[in-house]
Amino acid sequence: MRLLLVEDEKKVADVLARGLRAERFAVDVAYDGVSGWELASSVDYDLIVLDLMLPGLDGTELLRRLRHKGSNAAVLVLTARDATRDKVENFEAGADDYLTKPFAFAELLVRIKALLRRPPAGRDHVLRVADLEVDRLGQQVRRAGKRIELTAKEYALLEYLASHAGRVLSRTMIIEHVWDESFEGLTNIVDVYVRHLREKVDEPFERKLIRTVRGAGYCLTDENEA
Amino acid sequence: MNTRSLRFRLVAWHAGLLTAIFVLLAVLILLGLRHYLEADLRDTQARRAGQIADTLLANLKQTGPDFLAQEIESLYAPEANDRFIRISRQDGQVLYVSGPPKDQSFDSTGLAAAAPAPVPARKVKLPGNITLLIATRPFLAPSGDRYLVEVGAPTTPMDTMLEQLLTLLGIGLPLVVLVGIGGGYLLVGRALAPVDQISRKAERITQHNLGERLPVPRTADELERLSLSLNLMIQRIEDALLNSKRFVADASHELRTPLTVLRAELENLISSGHLTLELREAVGSVLEEVDRLGRIVEQLFALSRLDAGEARAEWVSFDLAELAATTADQMGLLAKDKGIAVSCDANRRVPVKGDRARLKQVVVNLLDNAIKYTPEHGVIQLRVAAINGRAVLEVSDSGIGIPREAVPHIFDRFYRVDQARTRDAGGAGLGLSIVRSICAAHGAEVDVESDVGSGSRFRIRLPLANGEKSP
Repeated sequence: MRLLLVEDEKKVADVLARGLRAERFAVDVAYDGVSGWELASSVDYDLIVLDLMLPGLDGTELLRRLRHKGSNAAVLVLTARDATRDKVENFEAGADDYLTKPFAFAELLVRIKALLRRPPAGRDHVLRVADLEVDRLGQQVRRAGKRIELTAKEYALLEYLASHAGRVLSRTMIIEHVWDESFEGLTNIVDVYVRHLREKVDEPFERKLIRTVRGAGYCLTDENEA
Repeated sequence: MNTRSLRFRLVAWHAGLLTAIFVLLAVLILLGLRHYLEADLRDTQARRAGQIADTLLANLKQTGPDFLAQEIESLYAPEANDRFIRISRQDGQVLYVSGPPKDQSFDSTGLAAAAPAPVPARKVKLPGNITLLIATRPFLAPSGDRYLVEVGAPTTPMDTMLEQLLTLLGIGLPLVVLVGIGGGYLLVGRALAPVDQISRKAERITQHNLGERLPVPRTADELERLSLSLNLMIQRIEDALLNSKRFVADASHELRTPLTVLRAELENLISSGHLTLELREAVGSVLEEVDRLGRIVEQLFALSRLDAGEARAEWVSFDLAELAATTADQMGLLAKDKGIAVSCDANRRVPVKGDRARLKQVVVNLLDNAIKYTPEHGVIQLRVAAINGRAVLEVSDSGIGIPREAVPHIFDRFYRVDQARTRDAGGAGLGLSIVRSICAAHGAEVDVESDVGSGSRFRIRLPLANGEKSP
């Protein structure tokens, strides 16, 4: 998978590129709009991470040219602007997703993978992590063959964790996905729900699957702690 | 009536001055006239006394007292003309004295003899409160006899005239002052009307409608200048406020990029797997703070966008009761975790128009606050109802309450009632500012009642959606 990262803030570009390369993506970096357009129009990228405020050539304009040319690359727009009209304008110009700074790298990764249609846990409607089974069709959860009763929110939380098993999900990502943006800033609600989820999913069993990653968030994994 | 008002004071001064001038004028007129009339009366009497002395007494030896009396009667007819005439010799013998006047206007029978060294004129009180003005004229006859001629007249006509004038002035003065006050009141009122308009408008200008201006009376006078300078001042305040808002927006915007770098670097570090447990803890702790910093920046940015008057593009009509109930349900576990009972009274539809996500944030922030500051096993009540054409949302709790002196500040940015009690909660003191800004953007009022120890009640009133009547 080949990605293009167009970002004028050199430090942001470098740290993102490093993180993405660690995830085994091939990453090209452009630090301004003009070189970004040159790369994007000559190489066939799978995905372009595009900052909006660029010197030389504006991100929105680059996107418009790209779509005009007929490029099918997925485009994830990255910006500090998050006013609604900017969002609308960019979706009209052909952006596939939108992420506002500051964001968690984990979230960028999750979104990139979603855009590349590579769901980490496969397309199966039953998600499996160790002996835990999450049936997305029947909205049922079993562990070691035993059925576990969850409330709707607990289920939504577990499904989100399970569908990104092995990934660290930040509280902000969890809130936006399981609740909605109105709950932003209310991160303790995630902690409370995770605790309740643990009581049902982890406590009766010896092997603990839900891990807290300090400062980063939560992760559902059957790997032992490194 | 406000006795300190400019209008009252101007009119009072005006009336006071008018009265003083009028009274002074009246006194001067009365005194002057009285002086003139008295002098005139006195001169007349003195002239007569002189005539009598010169024409009748010079030849008294030849003519005799009877002739004198006849002459006086025929020339002066004192009884008919209300005059008093007396002629006496130096030894005290009275040669002639006029009788009482025909109209009995005075009675001069008891009048004492003139003093041995007579003054040119004197006033004598008679019974019946009558005053006679008597002019005296000594006369030395060629025969060597000394005579004294006294001619008097009552001051009654003069007094009557002065009295009538006084009455006239007494009626006229209050009338003139009344007309002066009335006219002054109207005139001052008209002159000051723009002041009233200006202050009314000024009272309505707050930080949320600083774009408005005071009315400028086109009178080319001091008031026009005043309102123009006040408007210029409002302009400068608006600019300053705008600058500070822009600064907050710019600052929070500029902080995003370094925060992104910081976060991504730390996340990369943590997921690299090369860290010892100790280091991972430390990096995790830093990440938590970066997270918090990020949240504060987000909230500040959200606030500055709300202040800038976000577009109403996302306004929709929806049921506030349903929104509140759902939100309370979503947050139920937070309350349950502390053993707090949340009762939700939102059964009737309460249609409102607004940004659903933002208003939901209001409910979230208020409920979160209530849960934070209510001790275990407390009670929280959420009520939504349509009252008097307004949608009313109320969140009351049995929490620790807010001290009276803190109540006016709880909606201020970064305000904390006290450091200790919010430390665990991890808030930055922006939640309620956001509530207020969202409410302001929706034309809603938010107020709070609180008693330390027994709880707080936050109430939000916003307009009902058009075309819907309250039940």
